[in-house]
Amino acid sequence: MVRIGLLGIVALALLPGAALAQMHGQHGSEAACEEPALRCATKVTPAFGPDGTLWLVWMAGGQVSVASSQDAGRSFSAPVQVTTKRLNLDWGPDARPKIVVDRKGGIALAFSIFRDEAFNGQVLYTRSADGGKSFAELKPITANNESQRFEALALDQDGTVFAAWLDKRNRVPAKEAGQKYEGAGLFFASSRDGGATYTEAALARDNTCECCRLGLTFAAPGRPAVIFRNIFDGGVRDQAVMTFTDVSNPGEIHRVSNDDWQINACPHHGPSLTIAPNGTYHVVWYTNGKARKGLFYAHSRDEGRTFSAPMALGQPGRNPTRPYVLAGATGTVMAWKEFDGEKTSVQMTISRDDGETWSPPKTISSTTDTSDHPLLISSGRQTYLSWMTKADGYRLTAIEDQP
Amino acid sequence: MRRRFAGIVGLGILIASMTMLGAAPALKPFERGTWQSVLKGHAGRPTLVHFWGVTCGPCKVELPLLGQFAKDHPGIDVVTISADLVPNLPAATQSMLDKAGLSSTENFIFSDGFVERLRFEIDPAWQGDIPRTILISRDGTITTIEGSAEMADLEKWSGQQLATH
Repeated sequence: MVRIGLLGIVALALLPGAALAQMHGQHGSEAACEEPALRCATKVTPAFGPDGTLWLVWMAGGQVSVASSQDAGRSFSAPVQVTTKRLNLDWGPDARPKIVVDRKGGIALAFSIFRDEAFNGQVLYTRSADGGKSFAELKPITANNESQRFEALALDQDGTVFAAWLDKRNRVPAKEAGQKYEGAGLFFASSRDGGATYTEAALARDNTCECCRLGLTFAAPGRPAVIFRNIFDGGVRDQAVMTFTDVSNPGEIHRVSNDDWQINACPHHGPSLTIAPNGTYHVVWYTNGKARKGLFYAHSRDEGRTFSAPMALGQPGRNPTRPYVLAGATGTVMAWKEFDGEKTSVQMTISRDDGETWSPPKTISSTTDTSDHPLLISSGRQTYLSWMTKADGYRLTAIEDQP
Repeated sequence: MRRRFAGIVGLGILIASMTMLGAAPALKPFERGTWQSVLKGHAGRPTLVHFWGVTCGPCKVELPLLGQFAKDHPGIDVVTISADLVPNLPAATQSMLDKAGLSSTENFIFSDGFVERLRFEIDPAWQGDIPRTILISRDGTITTIEGSAEMADLEKWSGQQLATH
């Protein structure tokens, strides 16, 4: 009797632990499985190489891996693991590993980890000089030890790799001076050796929103352009675009839209920017401001100084989310997710007149479980949707083939 | 001797168990349907539901203020829901709740990888930004505060709720 009583108490004492253990089951996970394999990935980022090879970098099982496909995503090479040990990879909603592939086939990667229990981030980078067979030892992109997250990479025509990220280093002097510090600094560095080494980090803009992805591309040779959620006067977190004078010198910032989203929170929902060969800036973003709520598109024909009136995207009752825009050979494409209460679909629309008019939105893919953000990628000839889903694995869908 | 040893071990287990049982209830999994259970479970009582996450900077500032609010207002039901994307971190979540003085409130953690569906059940327009606070009046009226809540606003609301009782 006494023994049963004790056992009962022991069982009771263990209950909370058991309940938590159950929560680690597959149902509760974003991932389909826990191995480093592509099918277990939660975040997959694509890039086309100069020879038309599709490269993927992904996060799965606490590791970052790379593989390539010669047949537009139908089959993949054996994955090469970039990380040598399981890392606490940044799993935030807007985080993902980044990849660029240069003309010589060199591959530059960057991604963030949580480096301590307070979720301070660190941006790590590496490169492959042997066509993805092996990757150099991971290195931090800056020697500074304050939190860094939300890195972005872009490749210039001459092979220069440009990196931008959000960096909390300036909160230290602010705190020492007894001043309040809002957000994070937009920092940048560049690499002339294909991503083997980067210049010292420099500040482009202080006090930007600290928890949204950046949109990064080149406006012209030597001139990176970035879109980010800025913190304007009064704590208003609206979108801004900056075109750099060159890879070492930031430019002025220009507000994309006066959405008036005053919020002291982490929206976890960053913008997207593409610049057409004729110089038109196309941007998409999410806001929940006083002036407008939802997903919006705008373009600029004066190098990002002024933007067209915001155009709403998606069906408001279906929670349109995660917009992406890409100017490709046959038109400018936008993609985003919608949710109907049971399944998530990817919607797309295309403009063949540089953003003046857009086709009616249509569903190009859907899934019944959780999914990564929908990304667009161009091979130079064709634009594709790149989308990782938990239930259906990785999909590469040619946009132009859609009826 | 053996019996005495067994007795000491037994006592140790008993004390440890009582400590566990007396400690804060474990984080509850927030899954499909949980939101409706929360609404039903607190129906007729003024309830403050706070959505937050361990990686969210503004949440770290707000959470201790909310802990103090909960302590000062025993007449208000306070529910917290950690709404970061899975993999959520129960240990880190519990630790931050403990430090904020929210050990004894009803605390949930998102436990379904399909977060779009969880959020859709709570508010179809919610895109996942945190912190976020939902105030539910006795009559079921829902007021949503996006971003960090002003404690003065919470005081005002709770004052109204408790005055009408």
